[in-house]
Amino acid sequence: MSESGTSLRDPAHRVSPRARVMWTVTAATEGAVAVAVLLVAVLAWEVPWWTLAALVVVVVGWVAVVPRWRYLVHRWETTETAVYTQTGWWARERRIAPMSRIQTVDYAESPVARLFGLASVTVTTASAAGALSIDGLDRDVARRLVDDLTRQADAVEGDAT
Amino acid sequence: MSLPVAPSDWQRLDPRMLLVHPVRELVRFLPALLVLTVAGSASSGPPWELLGVVAAVAVGILRYLTTRYRVAAGRIELKRGLLSRRITSAPLDRVRTVDLTSSVIQRVLGLTTLRIGTGLAAADDSDALDLDGLPVDRARALRADLLHTATVGVLDRAGTPPDDGRTLVAFDPRWLRFAPFTGTGLVVVAATIGGATQLLDSLGVWRDLRSDDLPVTSVVGVCVAAAAGLLVLLTLSVLGYLVTNGGFRLTQQGGAWHVRRGLLTTRETSIDEERLAGVSLGEPLALRLTGGRHLQAIVTGVDRSETGSSTLVPPSDADVAPRAAGLLLGHDAPVAVALTPHGPAAARRRWTRALVPVVPVVAAAVVVGVREGSWWLLVPAGLLVLGAAALAADRVAGLGHALSHGHVVARSGSLARRREILGVDHVIGWNLRATWFQRRAGLTELAATTAGGGGSVRLLDVPEADAVRLADQALPGLVEQFFRA
Repeated sequence: MSESGTSLRDPAHRVSPRARVMWTVTAATEGAVAVAVLLVAVLAWEVPWWTLAALVVVVVGWVAVVPRWRYLVHRWETTETAVYTQTGWWARERRIAPMSRIQTVDYAESPVARLFGLASVTVTTASAAGALSIDGLDRDVARRLVDDLTRQADAVEGDAT
Repeated sequence: MSLPVAPSDWQRLDPRMLLVHPVRELVRFLPALLVLTVAGSASSGPPWELLGVVAAVAVGILRYLTTRYRVAAGRIELKRGLLSRRITSAPLDRVRTVDLTSSVIQRVLGLTTLRIGTGLAAADDSDALDLDGLPVDRARALRADLLHTATVGVLDRAGTPPDDGRTLVAFDPRWLRFAPFTGTGLVVVAATIGGATQLLDSLGVWRDLRSDDLPVTSVVGVCVAAAAGLLVLLTLSVLGYLVTNGGFRLTQQGGAWHVRRGLLTTRETSIDEERLAGVSLGEPLALRLTGGRHLQAIVTGVDRSETGSSTLVPPSDADVAPRAAGLLLGHDAPVAVALTPHGPAAARRRWTRALVPVVPVVAAAVVVGVREGSWWLLVPAGLLVLGAAALAADRVAGLGHALSHGHVVARSGSLARRREILGVDHVIGWNLRATWFQRRAGLTELAATTAGGGGSVRLLDVPEADAVRLADQALPGLVEQFFRA
């Protein structure tokens, strides 16, 4: 698979390393909630204890592996003519959109992302299956990216369908 | 650019709608009226049911009086409502499709409903741009102007004289034989058989049937009843097909494709030629076995959920839909071209995905069969394996892709196999998705995203090198910059 011209390289830039922390914290919180719910169930309705042990093992594994894996996969790149993103972990999704087809550029800071000084940028095209989303960008990087994309997309005429 | 579309002041719809609206409101009020009638007959007092009828008629008349539309300053606007006013408007150059639907009452009165599809606000029905009640000839003239205006924005067709319209495909009564094998036909049959079985089960018929002293007469009776039931279902599906597709005609006129169908309620859909991004040739298993095909449009700005607007050719003989597709695309090659298969790794994935889910079922059947001595259980288990194998083999045979005459072609599926053909001009991006398993097998799912249909045309489990090469050849210069050095 290393033959030239028959496979794609990864996009050039990684997201902010703080994204790994954010994803870990989010995963840990969700895992803790799940464990707490099951603990209540174990205490109240005689659900067997081993289910709790199994859940704890799964949650710990998830929190240890998935955010790191996600960080290794998440990458992005923009050029004069295109936006290229890579997301996911188990399933890796690469999306390429020509600059001329970009319709909107969204900048969003979720409450959790704000805690870490992060933001996400979503680039939409006219297709229902075509939105390119980059999570866990450093806030300044994200703002600059939005400015660049907006300027470049504006330079193209037509209704981008 | 002058717009001879319609007078630019606000105007009402056709006054004959004064006859249609009250009838519609009466039908809508019917449950309430029935309750009122029953309640009214029980107690003396004012004739509530009569008041209900008056109210329904009044609502209908008000609906007519409060609805106005106009075409002005490059927009079409529709104003509705008495207490809460609502103005829906759309730029003329964003009109993608125009639908003319006539219900039976409207047909008697020579009226039709003109629906404008812009692909912008299709989610909420109250936001739809429906001019409910125009005389047919005025609606047709408005449609021609709307689509013409929309096309002028893209291509200057002002000098092209309007032709009379060329008929590409017309309804053939022999197509009725495909009715039971269409999606809706199969669903109706399956649902009815399922319901009947449950009913019989709850009545204890099966228990009676299994008893040894079953009289011959009742066996005959059950067979006759089953045959009669099947006959009723077949008739229903054929009638359904006839009502939906009777009088079908696909024509080309004035820079747009027109699909006309419907026996009682007629429906005319017009698709701007520039907005036809591609077609989807449906070859589901049931139709393939009986020698049928059907065709749907992938229209820019029209979602797949609006299936009514996207039918191009209903289930028909195997040569009809491909021929129409060739005419619509301007070339036969994307329809006829031999597809590149996706190779052994993709085939292996089809086999695993079909066979793995049946393993636990078969294992359970074998274990129970051996332990209980019910050897007959092995028969359905064997059939299940055979069925899964046949499905996998058919899915492997169906898998393929091509790039032909400026069109991306992708075929996949078995029970619902389709060959999707999308013009490269309408590709607005690429998605390459691969799970860890797929990456290990060197495969990826390539999706060519587009502004219509299901949002994308997917090539399942393509070898990664093939996917990248196809994306590069379809839109030169885009993917190349991300090649591995």
